Amino acid sequence: MPKKTGVIFFPAFDWAISPTHPEREERLLYTRDQIFEEGVMDLPQIQEFAPRLATLKDITRTHFCVPQVQNQVTEAHLIAAGSVMQLGDSVVSGEIQNGFAIVRPPGHHAMRVVHGNRGFCNINNEAILVDYLRHQHGIRKIAIVDSDVHHGDGTQDIFYHDPDVLFISFHQDGRTIYPGTGFTNELGGPGAYARTLNVPLPPGTADETFMYVLDNLVLPVVKDFQPELIINSAGQDNHYSDPLGSMRFTARAYADFTKKLKPHLAVLEGGYAIETALPYVNLTIILALAEIDYANVKEPDYVPGKFKESPEKVAQVHRMVEHLSEIWANKAKVDVSKIFGTGKHYQRNKFIYYDTDYIEEKQQEQVRMCTDCPGYLSIASHAQRGHRTSVRVYTVSIPFQACPSCQCEAYDIYERVKKQQEYDFVYLQDKLTDTYRTYAKNKGQEWITEG
Amino acid sequence: MYIGIDVGGTSTNAVLLENGLVRNFATVPSSADIITSLLEALEKIIANVSSESIERIVLSTTLITNLIAEKKYAPVGLMLIPGPGLSHEHYQYHTDTYILSGAIDYRGRETMPLIDDEIDQAINALNAKGYKNVAVVGKFSVRDNSHELKVVSRIKDLHPDWHVEMGHQVAGQLNFPRRVVSTMLACATRDKYAFFVESVQEALRSRGISGTVYILKADGGTMPLNKVTGIPIETIFSGPAASTLGVQALIPPGETSVVVDIGGTTTDLALILSGQPLLSSKGAPVYEQLTQVRALAVKSVAVGGDSLVQRVGQAIKVLPERLGPPFCLGGPMPTPTDALRVLGLIRVGDAERACEAMDMLGSPLGMSYSEVAQRIINLVVDAIVQQIKYMFTQWEQEPAYRVWEVLQKRKERPEMVVGVGGGAAGFITQIAAKLGANPVLPPYASVANAIGAAVAIPTLQVDLRADTERGYYTVEQEGYQGKIENKRFTEEDALLLAEEWLKKRASKHGLCNPVDNPEITRRDVFNLVRNWSTTGRIYDISVQTPRGIINYIGAKGGCSDA
Repeated sequence: MPKKTGVIFFPAFDWAISPTHPEREERLLYTRDQIFEEGVMDLPQIQEFAPRLATLKDITRTHFCVPQVQNQVTEAHLIAAGSVMQLGDSVVSGEIQNGFAIVRPPGHHAMRVVHGNRGFCNINNEAILVDYLRHQHGIRKIAIVDSDVHHGDGTQDIFYHDPDVLFISFHQDGRTIYPGTGFTNELGGPGAYARTLNVPLPPGTADETFMYVLDNLVLPVVKDFQPELIINSAGQDNHYSDPLGSMRFTARAYADFTKKLKPHLAVLEGGYAIETALPYVNLTIILALAEIDYANVKEPDYVPGKFKESPEKVAQVHRMVEHLSEIWANKAKVDVSKIFGTGKHYQRNKFIYYDTDYIEEKQQEQVRMCTDCPGYLSIASHAQRGHRTSVRVYTVSIPFQACPSCQCEAYDIYERVKKQQEYDFVYLQDKLTDTYRTYAKNKGQEWITEG
Repeated sequence: MYIGIDVGGTSTNAVLLENGLVRNFATVPSSADIITSLLEALEKIIANVSSESIERIVLSTTLITNLIAEKKYAPVGLMLIPGPGLSHEHYQYHTDTYILSGAIDYRGRETMPLIDDEIDQAINALNAKGYKNVAVVGKFSVRDNSHELKVVSRIKDLHPDWHVEMGHQVAGQLNFPRRVVSTMLACATRDKYAFFVESVQEALRSRGISGTVYILKADGGTMPLNKVTGIPIETIFSGPAASTLGVQALIPPGETSVVVDIGGTTTDLALILSGQPLLSSKGAPVYEQLTQVRALAVKSVAVGGDSLVQRVGQAIKVLPERLGPPFCLGGPMPTPTDALRVLGLIRVGDAERACEAMDMLGSPLGMSYSEVAQRIINLVVDAIVQQIKYMFTQWEQEPAYRVWEVLQKRKERPEMVVGVGGGAAGFITQIAAKLGANPVLPPYASVANAIGAAVAIPTLQVDLRADTERGYYTVEQEGYQGKIENKRFTEEDALLLAEEWLKKRASKHGLCNPVDNPEITRRDVFNLVRNWSTTGRIYDISVQTPRGIINYIGAKGGCSDA
């Protein structure tokens, strides 16, 4: 018998951001009803797993939580992240062929530095998984395809300079929806050029164009990248009934997408049509992963031919696909110094808004342009929350692929910035040795995150 | 005085309890007729007792298990209303099955109507094939039963004599395929069960016994022995439940232990966690299909005292079959019982023949008879220990859907290994040693299942789901669907309503004491928010009577826990 599809269903029936927030207890209630009533968990092709907790160290491997992990996450976050890691372990060990983490809270808007909640996310479940798989199982090349209606800006931010992570996000055009980013010119940093690809789709895009983007861009690029593992950030708010998005995808299209992409892991992200979309989309994704016929699953109000796309918009998407395909095909020939300049560091300034927590953050991000490795990354961040005293932090991150001289330099910078006493907190993330340090200015103390 | 009787496959055990002490017990070989075995065992224990002093009798029988295993029932036709979802190819139940159009969703709303002509055609087709028993099951019928009711009323119009069961009345949990199997089996077994009930009542009346009679269910709870209450298939696999409750009564309260019931060719394992028998998270399986019958988590290992032991090449193997009694008791081939005899761990059978059996296996390998015996014991012990460890891991890995459930997950290991059943004595010490636990062979271990029956009490639950936006509520166990009249129906109201239903069920099930302090096992509240305003709430409330047993054996006092 072929290997099974693992499912972790963690609806967090006792957790909400607030009683009326879209991220509330009710979100996966009808999904629970649908998959339990269908008896999906009893099918021989499906294996249900228990959720587990991620450790604080698993979080610090990916994020700089200000001031500490405990301030940014609840137990529900640790369970959502831990569940994704559990399925990752089971896929790598060969126990299951693929897995679906139907968990909340979601995470794809959470960036490397975390001052609070943005886009309903505090920590990035997929990014935590990637860093965990690298640390625990030595996996290097991973592709992440984000099918949420919102640009996966958190995931993009975390892997922007990582040549071994391919990040493709297709979503509703950022000019018309949160978070307002994800345009075709966001292509990754100097050391990871074209490893980030964004496909902003016009509102109203339906199944046919979705499949066009998939067949002509996503699938060929993923195949060419030759990842060891494919992850799908399975947001479901591209569905035609979603209250936040304006797209026209059906449950059937989500299933076809899953069947073609064959992700090793699908991780639920957004999707707030909790009655009209989620029960059906989640069901078809499970069935598609397990290679079970899903032709009989459909939304009660769906009739074929329900949505017509405008020819101009379709043509516009086709041109964009062609443009991005060229960028991908020619990425090795491009002179990145013409785009990013020359010098020891490449620097970019970012302004980040935390919609849930009303925080405004200014970042100055510097990546070391190194010929031997992707280079260490340092970020000076200044966050202002309403009229409270602002917080200034400085973070240094040493990637898994770092060369010894980058590692040394990064430690030197960390020590130097600590001495300057300019920042409230200084962080060092050394993924090579799995060591995570935090220095707090007001206490003059430094600590290492354990276990 | 309380009586417990367990009619098993090979023997029937009975006990008489008085003030928490075993006053009398008996074992008789089971005959083909369950009632005969039952009465024979009963006669033995009540010989010197006045029939008025018998307050209650609890039976555990293989009646339904056997009916199902031997398929001794009239065929049941299926009328299913699955609607969209999984491919209908999945619904294969080895009987004539008619799929009807129509669909209900998770909130109990009709999303596709029934088609009258289709219903009539299916009824006619079933009639043409001679069916008189029909199960009607719809997807989400537990959220709205109108489709099932409509189909059944049409059947009753055309064929008032047919026996019909509806999914929402038999199996209230969400799980359509399990509901189909449960409803089909309920339909299949109802009339034979009714016949059994009448025969037992008649037999007891003729002996002047007027105490209340209950039957044991797979979850270790009891239901009154009458034709109308309860669902017969809930009594399948009551045997392991009886043994487990028996152990619960014989060991100190609150311990974590594993119950090892070693029989002829199989060993049944069950867990008692902090004093409570562990329930299976899935329903009991029948013909490899899951039902919605709540059952204790029981694992069977295919080894026992009479298992055939053979040499295969250089290896000695314990096989999952029986060719007869052990060699030392005149049987044809070596068995684990012979190994126990050789090592002096038991005293039944002929010692010389036991040694001879070991030599048959060991001499070609150059092994002494005691070496062979030890090897066999190790094989049996290892097989059982492996399964026990697996059960604990499985329990730890049960899914959890709430933050608090994940946080309270714990690792437990048995403090005691309790042996019951004929073969337990010789093995239990070594099993316990491998698990780092204490071996226990309780007194009356051989009739633990009858004791378990005698001390069992009703385990009643009510799962209430109220949807204030749609203005209705359902009670899973009763297949009931009612209106919410109160416009401001709160969580407290939902809880009170659930407790009210629990009391109703309790009186129906003859629970002597009123339900004073029901346990609340689930209390989920879901705010329904549509377009940024709260439009209602869904309450998911579960209450149950305290689980337990009527008394611990040897403990002081009578009916205290119930």
